[in-house]
Amino acid sequence: MRERSFIYPIIFMALITALFTFLLALLNHSTAQRIQLLEDTDLRKKILYVLDIAYESDEPEEIERLFNQDVKVDNSFEPPIYYTMEGGEVAAYALPASGPGLWGNIDAYVGISADFTSLLGLEFIKHSETPGLGGRISEGEFLEQFRGLDISSPVDGEYIIYRPAPGGNVDAIAGATQTSKSVRDLLNKDIDRFIIERRGK
Amino acid sequence: MAKDKYRKLLRLGIIEENPVIVQIIGICSALAVTNLMGNSLIMGLGLTFVTAISSLTISLIRNYIPKHIRMMVQVLIIAAYVIIVDIFLKAYMPEMSKALGPYVGLIITNCIIMGRAEAYAQINPPIPSLVDGIAAGLGYTLVLLAIAFVRELMGFGTILGFRVLGDWWTPWTIMVMPPSAFFLLAILIWIFNNKRNGEVSK
Repeated sequence: MRERSFIYPIIFMALITALFTFLLALLNHSTAQRIQLLEDTDLRKKILYVLDIAYESDEPEEIERLFNQDVKVDNSFEPPIYYTMEGGEVAAYALPASGPGLWGNIDAYVGISADFTSLLGLEFIKHSETPGLGGRISEGEFLEQFRGLDISSPVDGEYIIYRPAPGGNVDAIAGATQTSKSVRDLLNKDIDRFIIERRGK
Repeated sequence: MAKDKYRKLLRLGIIEENPVIVQIIGICSALAVTNLMGNSLIMGLGLTFVTAISSLTISLIRNYIPKHIRMMVQVLIIAAYVIIVDIFLKAYMPEMSKALGPYVGLIITNCIIMGRAEAYAQINPPIPSLVDGIAAGLGYTLVLLAIAFVRELMGFGTILGFRVLGDWWTPWTIMVMPPSAFFLLAILIWIFNNKRNGEVSK
């Protein structure tokens, strides 16, 4: 009987689709806030790191408080530029840098002092480099090199130069030449553009 | 009696009809996520959960599913459970969610789940279907872990993130890259089938 019916399969499919869609919507709704908070906290932690602001606890509330207190945001850019103030003047910027990596786009934030002479820190927001090779760009050992890096005397607009090239100031990752090059190039390009734009004003 | 049946189902899924090394299905993710054991474990557990629970669901409603649209129904059910796993990882294991990336969503297209639904759950009662799903998932997980064990050990010198090989060990870059999984999987299949054929000919 059911096998021959024309309408039964349609009703069956509609009902089962409605049931599972309802289940998923419910689950999505009940976790949306939590996922959003995780993502926001993640970004805030990275911006704080980039601007060299130490945080003691990983609690989302504590991170949010510190972030709102110390960091200002300039939303006229997409993605936004973050900055910190000291005594009524801008002390440092966290500017977005992005470019092609080995497998996909690399998005980063880099902290730069307001006089454009040194970097405060570097952190990657998104990348899809090979885990264990290029993926190691998001490990502390690589990132810490950019903390307090002097960029006051660039060579031909190159702020980041890998050792052992003349004027080298940072070590690349062994076994991940392409990724290292991509990171260097996207940083040099975006830092240079930012400094020229700001100096011009 | 019933116990024997379940034991047989488990043995079939994990060893004799192991989805990856005997049936050679579901190998794309086996190549992609096996450079770290932690990733492989979570991927395996995710797949085991989805296979088991979708086999159970499909078996429960098997008598009501119109035969000619059964594949649509199966894909719908599998997709729903995979999205549940994806949301769960995003909300409670964000690091893992990032590491596995798109591969969680790709569980939907993993042949093992639909294979079990078609070959077993569609014609068998719920509890054996559940056990069958778990067995197939575990078979997949164990193969992933075996490959990941070699890749992580030789590629990083670690096991589940713990360093076991000292500084004297030079990591093999090839083990971190996807191609090494091809070699390892092939070697595994070779050893396994050799052993199995030997037993059969006796």
